[in-house]
Amino acid sequence: MPLSKKRIGIVCPYGWDTPGGVQSHVRDLAEYLIDEGHYVSVLAPAIDDENLPSYVTSAGRPISIPYNGAVARVLFGPIAFSRVRHWISQGNFDVLHLHEPAIPSISLLACWAAEGPLVGTFHAAAKRQKVSFAVIPFLEPVIEKLNARIAVSEAARETLTEHLDTDAIVVPNGIYASLYRDGKLDERWTGNTIGFIGRFEEPRKGLSVLIDALPAIITEIPDIKVFVAGPGDSEDALKEIQPALRSRFTFMGRISEEEKANFLASVGLYIAPNTGGESFGIILAEALAAGASVVASDIPAFDSLLGHGEYGTLFESENPQDLAVKVVALLKDSVARKEIAQRGKNYAQAFDWDVVADKIYDVYQMAMVGGNGVTLSSENRAWNKLLGRQG
Amino acid sequence: MKFILILFAFALAAWYLSYSATRLDRLHHRVETSWANLDGLLQRRAAIAIEIARSEISDPASAMLLTFAAHQAREASVRDRSQAETGLSGALGILLETSSHISGEIEKDLIRELRELTEKIKMAVAMHVDAVTRTQLVRKKWINRIFRLAGTAPEPVTYEFEGDVL
Repeated sequence: MPLSKKRIGIVCPYGWDTPGGVQSHVRDLAEYLIDEGHYVSVLAPAIDDENLPSYVTSAGRPISIPYNGAVARVLFGPIAFSRVRHWISQGNFDVLHLHEPAIPSISLLACWAAEGPLVGTFHAAAKRQKVSFAVIPFLEPVIEKLNARIAVSEAARETLTEHLDTDAIVVPNGIYASLYRDGKLDERWTGNTIGFIGRFEEPRKGLSVLIDALPAIITEIPDIKVFVAGPGDSEDALKEIQPALRSRFTFMGRISEEEKANFLASVGLYIAPNTGGESFGIILAEALAAGASVVASDIPAFDSLLGHGEYGTLFESENPQDLAVKVVALLKDSVARKEIAQRGKNYAQAFDWDVVADKIYDVYQMAMVGGNGVTLSSENRAWNKLLGRQG
Repeated sequence: MKFILILFAFALAAWYLSYSATRLDRLHHRVETSWANLDGLLQRRAAIAIEIARSEISDPASAMLLTFAAHQAREASVRDRSQAETGLSGALGILLETSSHISGEIEKDLIRELRELTEKIKMAVAMHVDAVTRTQLVRKKWINRIFRLAGTAPEPVTYEFEGDVL
């Protein structure tokens, strides 16, 4: 890839210590770029300043606010802003990569404070909200400073076009495809089994849709079993399920990366019944890469990730009957199931970090043309001169 | 009291004007850099096209077509540029369609380089088009027109690429 080593600053808007799609994307990207020999510094909110990787700088403790149907741990305010400015002026960066600059957190602050080659990545895909009408006039002049915008999916790109009237280049989220390529079959999970990974307590992950679909599946496939992996209180979850169905469920808690690869390679079907709030579906890409046959709800992100049904089966979101029909059809036709899984596995290689990071770096290079590195913006400089502060 | 209010209003107006001017200046800068980037990539593409025309891949007819299109693209003025580049895209497109049965290492390298470049040009076009439309939009705002905040910066040229050819 690069002959010259660059200094790259990445801003992550969400708390570093809470698990989440954006955080893992930033972590993987930063580590990949460091391996390539670049200097990378990540600025992120963090609860625990002590145990951060060496490339992460804490911007302070995140604040929990409800956002987009979940609790987001973000950070803003004058202290955070001055830390962001300090980080930018000390970092001497060639390019600044801001994640989710349109949500109220440090990425937005950094976008406001910085000048020079700026790249923004938009992850979220949300329906148009009434509030955004009020917010856009403030947001627009800030967002338009970005030299290049990246959207992680067609859905995210559409959201961006709709909300902020600007286009973006689609670069998908990355996965380490090689980790999942050679998962081993584990007899615990093979057969007529359904796999589910995720924080099952969150309603938008859609476990309840799967639970509602189960009785209809049982009448056709009596020996069906469901394995649920992911953090959460399994006893509470079991109470929600009718007693007759409880024996079908196994809650496994968090599993390691290696177990995950084996799990995804072994299960009969991997189900993603998410009801919304998803912009990319990294777990689906991983499931595909591991060779799982996937059944997912037809929310925009999954629809575009699965090529409108080419690489996995789609069912109508929040419709348990439709889910049951699709599951039964696939479990009864193992030839079709293996075919679609094989297509998905080949296709998922395009999400490998080798491909994705190369593309992101191409965007960096384009943003850096004619630029002399990242500085604090002139507005801030004038402001500071007035107040007699040092930039 | 009145005096303070008027002073405050003036200060606010002055700040807003300076802010708007900075915003416009930044946008024009963005157009310039994204154009420099796109222009560089297009120049490289023209160079590759000429190299392909001279290589074993091309028959005399397509060699002529390519060389002609590449020179036209290189010499076109900014306003005619998109049309000339679309012409070159068309000529290269015909070539890429039939590129599956190309043998020879040098030729394969050329074709691969062209494909990679095409991907980059797509991104550069998207970036440039976005910068141009944004700038035109902000230039049209009344405050920027009345106070001539754009100064002598030339109106950015809309660049029309036929996406499917590239």
